[in-house]
Amino acid sequence: MAIRPEEITNIIKEKIEHFKPSADIHEAGTVIQVGDGIARVHGLERVKSSELVDFGNGIKGMAMNLEYDNVGCVLMGPDTQIKEGDVVKRTGEVISIPVGADVIGRVVDPLGRPLDGKGPLQADKNMPLDIVAPGIIDRQPVKQPLQTGIKAIDAMVPIGKGQRELIIGDRQTGKTAIAIDAIINQKNIPEKERCLCIYVAIGQKQSTVAQVVKTLTDFGAMDYTVVVSATASDPASLLYIAPYAGCAIGEYFMWQGKDVLIVYDDLSKHAQAYRQMSLLLRRPPGREAYPGDVFYLHSRLLERACKLSNENGGGSLTALPIIETQANDVSAYIPTNVISITDGQIYLETNLFLSGIKPAVNVGLSVSRVGGSAQRKTMRKVAGTLRIDLSQYQELAGFAQFGSELDKESQRQIARGQRMTELLKQNQYSPLTVGEEVLVLYAGTHGYLDEVTVPDVLTYEKQLLSFTHAQRPQVLQALNSSNELTAELEKDITGLLDEFKTVFKAGK
Amino acid sequence: MNSSQRIAVQRYAAAYDALSQTAEQAAARARQLTTVAQALAPVEDLLNAPEIALLQKKQAVQAALNEEPQIASFVQVLLEAKRYTLLPAIVQQVQTLADLRQGIMRARVFSAQELTADQQTHTEQALSSRYGKTVKASFRTDKTLLGGLKIWCGTELIDGSLQGQLVRLQEELTK
Repeated sequence: MAIRPEEITNIIKEKIEHFKPSADIHEAGTVIQVGDGIARVHGLERVKSSELVDFGNGIKGMAMNLEYDNVGCVLMGPDTQIKEGDVVKRTGEVISIPVGADVIGRVVDPLGRPLDGKGPLQADKNMPLDIVAPGIIDRQPVKQPLQTGIKAIDAMVPIGKGQRELIIGDRQTGKTAIAIDAIINQKNIPEKERCLCIYVAIGQKQSTVAQVVKTLTDFGAMDYTVVVSATASDPASLLYIAPYAGCAIGEYFMWQGKDVLIVYDDLSKHAQAYRQMSLLLRRPPGREAYPGDVFYLHSRLLERACKLSNENGGGSLTALPIIETQANDVSAYIPTNVISITDGQIYLETNLFLSGIKPAVNVGLSVSRVGGSAQRKTMRKVAGTLRIDLSQYQELAGFAQFGSELDKESQRQIARGQRMTELLKQNQYSPLTVGEEVLVLYAGTHGYLDEVTVPDVLTYEKQLLSFTHAQRPQVLQALNSSNELTAELEKDITGLLDEFKTVFKAGK
Repeated sequence: MNSSQRIAVQRYAAAYDALSQTAEQAAARARQLTTVAQALAPVEDLLNAPEIALLQKKQAVQAALNEEPQIASFVQVLLEAKRYTLLPAIVQQVQTLADLRQGIMRARVFSAQELTADQQTHTEQALSSRYGKTVKASFRTDKTLLGGLKIWCGTELIDGSLQGQLVRLQEELTK
């Protein structure tokens, strides 16, 4: 609809009429030093820690250091317009983000300002960014599975709703890909159980974020996703508050009884931004020059992931923090911190990635400390021994390389292991439903692949799925909906697999 | 002035202030220090000059301030500690502390045009009743305000200027 000129005039007139010319009384101070995104302010005697202060020109700051004769503030915008002697006013508020149902499908910055050019946001309320995590009484144990649609993860490192599962690995090992696949997979899940997704980009390239948003849009995943973006060119203060902003949006929906999945991509850059701010504020550096409270920085964030009790609506917030390691060094400061905070990790390795195993999940080092209780019974039954089988295979594969004679049982284990490794490979952006996963893994663990050659395994999988979709969709439906692998259902599956065996052989 | 200098100023001023027993005494001594600082201003360069020996400076100060032994020794302490450059700031802080004892608040009032004596007393009275203390204001003109008053009182800023109102109107319109 075209905007009529008198409308604007009316709005302005209304605004002018409602504007009350009155004296503006504020507790204030003056800037004594500014630079590097930090301002030191004299005055502001009664300012509180983390309070928002107003530098004028629409630039806000946060009081971080309350010192004997000055206040150290971080600026939430460019520092070029601020000069010595400028007036800084107290606002009496802590930093908060406007939230509402309107925010779904949008790209916003950590202060809730839209970045996608789709117009202003209608907010229901303001959520303060730094909220203390719900207490013990407010929670219940993590027990519902959250399907990522990735075979290797759903089978061996199951993630539960309300869990915190770290995705860790070097650059270019597919960390973001796993998170994005998990978001895309929510499309496969009936709306009632579907998670709302929040993707928080911290310190990434604008182009990468644009790519992620495009991918999510292409797969129709933006309908239930919020992207919070603080890119590499934003001030460190925005990078610092970005995960808390994303979490605040997530909590808003969680307290409405919804399930929320939040991805922090990535927390290494978050720690670096916090280190920059801390050092410029002259806080003492510790190990790797990070400040002393860098553990608390992440623990208070990840502690906010939870499964609420039924009295509180039963909502959940599942966190997938991402950490980038340097040269596979998981014993660096930030990786060890976050590993110890989270309920498990998915460890990705360059070697595996380069040898074609994608997702490059290292089975031995990846764990989920919530484990089986966050897995469907059908999946648990099928994948129960998968981890052990694979690690035994890897042990034996070492021997087999020397060309030594192996007994029949070992040869069988190696053959099975090779096929299972092959079966767990999965392309990006192609998440599977639970039913598909269970069916495929059932075929693998019950020896149906033993007669298929290793290079043919993925073809087998593909054809099996299309065969089932065409001929026996009711089996997949049953697998998707039922929680228990009944004898009847198992009979259906074996019947299906036996039938497909002949079809596959004939096709060869 | 950096942070440690500001802290030093507050400490020297507090020490000087602590030498007085009553509020009246403190006010009188603050006035004395102000006068002395003004009198010493022309020779500031000499007193800060590194090429002149400390002993010489101290003797000169002693001779000049013979009648005010306590102020003379205060200045000598500053010279010894190489803090003489801070004297103007210390004087100001001493004044603030003396005001605090007397329950006086200082305000800086900015206006677009010079206020008449009547307007000045009226402003002071209004501020005194707002803060419940005797407010003593210094008045300055600032053409950029366009009209109205802008008052700094302690750490509070009361902005009733036309310029401030226009800025707020602008913020309201662009929101």
